[in-house]
Amino acid sequence: MITSPPNRHILNDPSLRSTCAHRAWLACGCTTVVISLAKAIMGAAKSYIWLGPILAGLVGYILADLMSGVYHWVIDNYGSASTPIFGDQIDAFQGHHEQPWAITRRQFANNLHALARAVTFTVLPMDLVVNDPIFHAFVAVWSGCLLFSQQFHAWAHTTKSRLPPLVIALQDMGLLVSRSQHAGHHIPPYNNNYCIVSGVWNEFLNKRQIFKALEMILFYKLGVRPRSWSEPSSS
Amino acid sequence: MASLTLPKHSIPSLLPTQTVSPRHSLFSHNLPIVSNSSQSQFYGLKVSYSSSLSIPSSSSVKGSIFAKVNKGTAPPSFTLKDQDGRNVSLSKFKGKPVVVYFYPADETPGCTKQACAFRDSYEKFKKAGAQVVGISGDDPSSHKAFAKKYRLPFTLLSDEGNKVRKDWGVPSDLFGTLPGRQTYVLDKNGVVQLIYNNQFQPEKHIDETLKLLQSL
Repeated sequence: MITSPPNRHILNDPSLRSTCAHRAWLACGCTTVVISLAKAIMGAAKSYIWLGPILAGLVGYILADLMSGVYHWVIDNYGSASTPIFGDQIDAFQGHHEQPWAITRRQFANNLHALARAVTFTVLPMDLVVNDPIFHAFVAVWSGCLLFSQQFHAWAHTTKSRLPPLVIALQDMGLLVSRSQHAGHHIPPYNNNYCIVSGVWNEFLNKRQIFKALEMILFYKLGVRPRSWSEPSSS
Repeated sequence: MASLTLPKHSIPSLLPTQTVSPRHSLFSHNLPIVSNSSQSQFYGLKVSYSSSLSIPSSSSVKGSIFAKVNKGTAPPSFTLKDQDGRNVSLSKFKGKPVVVYFYPADETPGCTKQACAFRDSYEKFKKAGAQVVGISGDDPSSHKAFAKKYRLPFTLLSDEGNKVRKDWGVPSDLFGTLPGRQTYVLDKNGVVQLIYNNQFQPEKHIDETLKLLQSL
């Protein structure tokens, strides 16, 4: 279990500000997504076939939500601050449980740069090697949703009065994860509502207790306990 | 040499989404010999899976694959160590109804909920004249710590190697990756009167068993 200082962040904390490196990674990530999207649109326009790319984009949107939940579940429950590669993120996710408001104070690139970096490395090769519009429609939407999932997450922590009307509308329509749905994750032991793109998978994953089943399997096979088992339960 | 005799109702009545499909036969060359009452109820998805399906078909297979416990039968006897390291036999409980509940592992959320629920309703079980026995693959020291931490007033037995679980045919969940959570109620003659399976709603085991005991 990670022990952490009682007050990780203060208002105007420098660690919440964007640096040049953050902005550079964000720019790279966005560029790769835009290239993919452009390939999808140009390919569809050239062939006059739009249905395939549109459906592929929809699949990408739905899959991104599921993947955001799986990743969130893993990072919330396993590893520690000293885990290679992922340690900083694991620590940040724990810090987020302690101070959920801090994400709304993070500057844009600061919040998204880690995802942007992952998207750059994943999508750039695809941009260079593949031209198929259906493939790129899937990739553009899937990677775009994952890249911006931290922004959707931040909006889910923002009070209504501070949100743009469009964001509120998208949350109310269920197209972006809503404030109330994500609040369900922030109740100890923090073991549900892990998806943060649209949240469309949350109800199914909660009801079918998918993550609890995976936790049991991992414990039984590997002896690894998830952090949520050690959190005080609200029930 | 192991041979398989199938009871008449050998094809389990699975939910429409589950049939004895070729995919199942990839895991076993035999039909699953699972009765309705011991289908594993992973919430929303019934998976009928006997742990005996993992036994290969070599001639070294022992006869215990066939000691399948159904309602109306007397289960095979066993002698296991309890949380204090003492040998305890199933026959010790004859003469009184007994609830034998198989659970995956100590110190997991579901099993803790279940054990605490049995603890909290223990007076009701005593009033019904029944005893409660929990069985998992954990060793006696794990059981001792678990029982002490949660003040469990009943016996926990160590089925190390899951031999009794296999002998009784407790089905596994999630394609054999997770030991099933299945409870048997034996009457005072040692005959099974109820088999209840539910992996992810552990407290229901208490409700269902008490309901049955109050009618015995």
